[in-house]
Amino acid sequence: MKTPRDLDVKIDEELQRQLLQAQTRRHFLQTCTSGLGALFLGAAAQKALSKDGGPPRLDFTRAPAQPLAALPPQFTAKARRVIYLHMAGAPSQLELFDHKPVLTQFDGKDCPASFMTGKRFAFITGIPKLMGTRFPFHQAGKSGAWISDRLPRLEKHIDDLCFIKSVHTDQFNHAPAQLLVQTGNARLGYPSLGSWVTYGLGTENQNLPGFIVLLSGGKTPDGGKQLWGSGFLPSVYQGVQCRSHGEPVLYLNNPPEISRPLRRRMLDAIDDINHQTHSNFGNPETISRIAQYEMAFRMQLDATDALDIRHEPAAMQALYGAKPGEASFANNCLVARRLAERDVRFIQLYHWGWDSHGDSEFYSLNVGFTDRCREIDQPIAALLADLKSRGMLDDTLVVWGGEFGRTSMRENRSGQQNPYAGRDHNPSAFTIWMAGGGVKGGMSYGETDDLGYEAVKDPVEIRDLHATMLYQLGFDHHKLNYPYQGLDQKLTGVKPARVVAQILA
Amino acid sequence: MVASGNSSNRLRLSAPVYCACVALVTTLGVGVAMLLRPALAYSIRSVVGLEKPPQAAPGSFYTVRVAPLFKEHCIGCHGKSRHKAELRLDSLTGAMRGGKHGAVILAGNLKGSELVTRLTLPPGNDKAMPPSGKPPMSADEVTVIKLWIAAGASGALPVAAIKGAPAPVPKIEFPEIDEASVARARAPLAPMVKQLQARFPGVLSYESRSSADVQINASLLGRSFGDKEFAALASVRERIVWADLSGTSISDASALTLAECKHLRTLRLANTGVTDPTAQALMSLSALKSLTVVGTSLTESHLATLRSKGVRVYDGHETSSNSNATS
Amino acid sequence: MTDTKHPQTRMRPRNMQNHLLPFHVRVWDVPTRLFHWTIVALVACSWYSADNGLMKVHLWSGSLLLTLLLFRIAWGFFGSTTARFSNFLHLPPKVFGYLKAVMSNNKPRYAGHNPAGGLMVTALITMLLAQVATGLFSNDGIRFNAPLALSVSADMSDRFTELHGILFNAILLLVWMHLVAVFFYLFVKEENLIKPMMTGYKHRDHLPPQLNLKFVHWAIALGVLAAAAAMVGSILFL
Repeated sequence: MKTPRDLDVKIDEELQRQLLQAQTRRHFLQTCTSGLGALFLGAAAQKALSKDGGPPRLDFTRAPAQPLAALPPQFTAKARRVIYLHMAGAPSQLELFDHKPVLTQFDGKDCPASFMTGKRFAFITGIPKLMGTRFPFHQAGKSGAWISDRLPRLEKHIDDLCFIKSVHTDQFNHAPAQLLVQTGNARLGYPSLGSWVTYGLGTENQNLPGFIVLLSGGKTPDGGKQLWGSGFLPSVYQGVQCRSHGEPVLYLNNPPEISRPLRRRMLDAIDDINHQTHSNFGNPETISRIAQYEMAFRMQLDATDALDIRHEPAAMQALYGAKPGEASFANNCLVARRLAERDVRFIQLYHWGWDSHGDSEFYSLNVGFTDRCREIDQPIAALLADLKSRGMLDDTLVVWGGEFGRTSMRENRSGQQNPYAGRDHNPSAFTIWMAGGGVKGGMSYGETDDLGYEAVKDPVEIRDLHATMLYQLGFDHHKLNYPYQGLDQKLTGVKPARVVAQILA
Repeated sequence: MVASGNSSNRLRLSAPVYCACVALVTTLGVGVAMLLRPALAYSIRSVVGLEKPPQAAPGSFYTVRVAPLFKEHCIGCHGKSRHKAELRLDSLTGAMRGGKHGAVILAGNLKGSELVTRLTLPPGNDKAMPPSGKPPMSADEVTVIKLWIAAGASGALPVAAIKGAPAPVPKIEFPEIDEASVARARAPLAPMVKQLQARFPGVLSYESRSSADVQINASLLGRSFGDKEFAALASVRERIVWADLSGTSISDASALTLAECKHLRTLRLANTGVTDPTAQALMSLSALKSLTVVGTSLTESHLATLRSKGVRVYDGHETSSNSNATS
Repeated sequence: MTDTKHPQTRMRPRNMQNHLLPFHVRVWDVPTRLFHWTIVALVACSWYSADNGLMKVHLWSGSLLLTLLLFRIAWGFFGSTTARFSNFLHLPPKVFGYLKAVMSNNKPRYAGHNPAGGLMVTALITMLLAQVATGLFSNDGIRFNAPLALSVSADMSDRFTELHGILFNAILLLVWMHLVAVFFYLFVKEENLIKPMMTGYKHRDHLPPQLNLKFVHWAIALGVLAAAAAMVGSILFL
């Protein structure tokens, strides 16, 4: 009969054998020489770089077990957290914020050739007709800002909003345009805004992810999960997609048979093995992995609480128009405020369905667009009021926008007029607004031409927006960098970006 | 003299007469050149002493508002090392002298000032300045220059004398962090800060990498953080600029300590047990700009007093007078 | 090849007196004359195009100038007698001696350029060559870059541009001096130098007793020009 001792020896031998097997010559040659080579290059490069001097770099290293530990910003920050409301599909600025009476005068007339030459359209063909705004505009608030009648509740906060009407991009389709707005680059593989911010600042609440994403509207935006991906930054900085109904994070909760203490013992065992692996191979990602398991464990308690709006009084739910159990933008906004209260660094909300081409009722300006406006009007107004009354609007930067604008022409897909009123994609101008976080409220920066087609006065690039946001968070956008592929990569990319100082209080 | 084939009916001058003719023709030529090249005329006149170059006074509108614009947008091509079209905009003298084709600035005359014309040409135009490829001047900046020229293009007029000039855009500069001076500023309290960070992880941190001021965020600790803990943190009180004690069990016992945080700018006491004595203690803080007291039982009169001192008080009601984010 | 237009030139013995020469003797060959007047036109064209921002014209004008200058330098070694450097380049003492002689009304005669004229020719060719060379590296600060401007640093290019501007004034000065001298000869010394440069013929009264002029066929000139053009073309288009 096999005694426990025999078994012990067998297990011991087995583990020894496995360890030795893992350390074959091939393995050595494969990893360690390149490791040695990389070490050498790393040291040599470090020496070479530091010998040259160059501008001093900011140090973003943290203890491997605490990759999201909070770090102070470069200089005094106005904003401590960001709530980014991205309207996926590109909301029509001409029906919301960009008042163009001249366009209304030309309503129904053929679009002049000068507007067509040299432009690429997603769907417009032939000569489309100009189309004035579908909804009446009026001036609101003390600042007298122009706004259409689609957002009556948000209007009450218009003196807190800073409109930038001259944002423009060079991407005319959703996925690359969304990637550009969220990651600074129209191609895949780059870290998103939230990743950069959590990389640079970490998060104060270690029981929740630093970067949380909430979706509504029925679909994931065209750019996909890469919109909150970490790109080449360590994966711990990626956005965590949470849900405001059902399980806050899919597969976060234990299966029914696993209790929390049992889960804890499991994690401890996995920890031990991972620590051993780490001591054998020294890969810091292993420690990050351990940290992420621990974070998930903590999240089981805290996320469930933070993401559950049933904890809010009924009056608060009514203020937002939120209904527990629904997957709505209103729910997400209330959750966003809860997360902001819990010091989550970057909260991103995507609301899908703004692509008002006019090819169907859902995508029409009169029906679909109006529905979308109704879906966001009350929640955003409530969010702003709520943040303000809690004294949090001063240090929370709220950003609202799409990925590009919409054309001044009515879309005519394949030369035929669409069944409903709609507009095609227009990268040349769109409107983004910001509130809080040290931004000057009650103002409008930048202008489009009389037909609302191109940004003509004070055009703002996407990277300028990013530079401004990072500035409010306390960073010089040049200094928030990460060495990768031989370049100090930054969110704002390699082209010069400016901080839009005119919108800062 | 033997008749040479080519001199019989030609004009013959003596050497001195010829020299005189040369001198005359040359002078005429220079005169014509001066007419065609006003800049040349200006140079010659200033050499002779007929032109008095204008001076720019230190606090004048030109020095404070116009010269920086020229410096930023123009002197790359119209400066000391390069002067396209012989125009130099790196000094008032140069600007008023003009370039190859004459003066570009006519005092009081916007229509006649070529500088203005070039600045206001549509961007695609060949003659537009700054030329395509260089960042254009913003509309506000052009307005500043127009106002200056309309008011006489003087180097003496003070800034205040010209009304209606759009406010200058604040310059965003990123100075390098001087590690040594930051370390020096942090030195007195550094050991204390380190100790407290070890004792209260995640609560105390420096406001920024370039600052010696600290901030406290105890809200995540909830009720386990109270007066005792705050008293321990108070050893760095003169450096506390931001404190979030929301949801903690802090009470009026900490009022006096709070009042000693002389540089406190933002204080959050939402959902705590503080009452009016704390509000009173806070009145002595001159640096306080923002106070959040949602979910506390502070009376309105004290809050009103604080508001009258310019503090933004958030008590759970959205107030329009304190709405705009200004700091 | 000797001049066939006037058979007497072929046949006359070496030290025949001038009065046995025809009234007008050919001294300047076609290539030299064409070169002179084309240069005048090109310099004027370059000046005008530079002043009026016609950069493409300026580039072409300058390139043609360079071609012709290179041709002239080659022609100065392989061309007709009066065109050769050896014919008119003299040491400074000789030049001063000549000038002194002119002043004292005792002007020696030369078939081609006199020493002072030779100095002027050399100075002008050198200066023009320098001008074209600096021009090749210049830029106009906005859009236009000369062919070789991008192969040096922006700073260098700016310095070349500055030099290009300064040299222009020097050329203007030389041209003024040249005109003053030519008209001096015309009005004071009663010797027309302009007509010979156009027709190629000088009056025998202004010619020295010993004349031994060899003329090279214009076809060879064309070949030299083609070679020069090829050189310049390689700079511009490669």
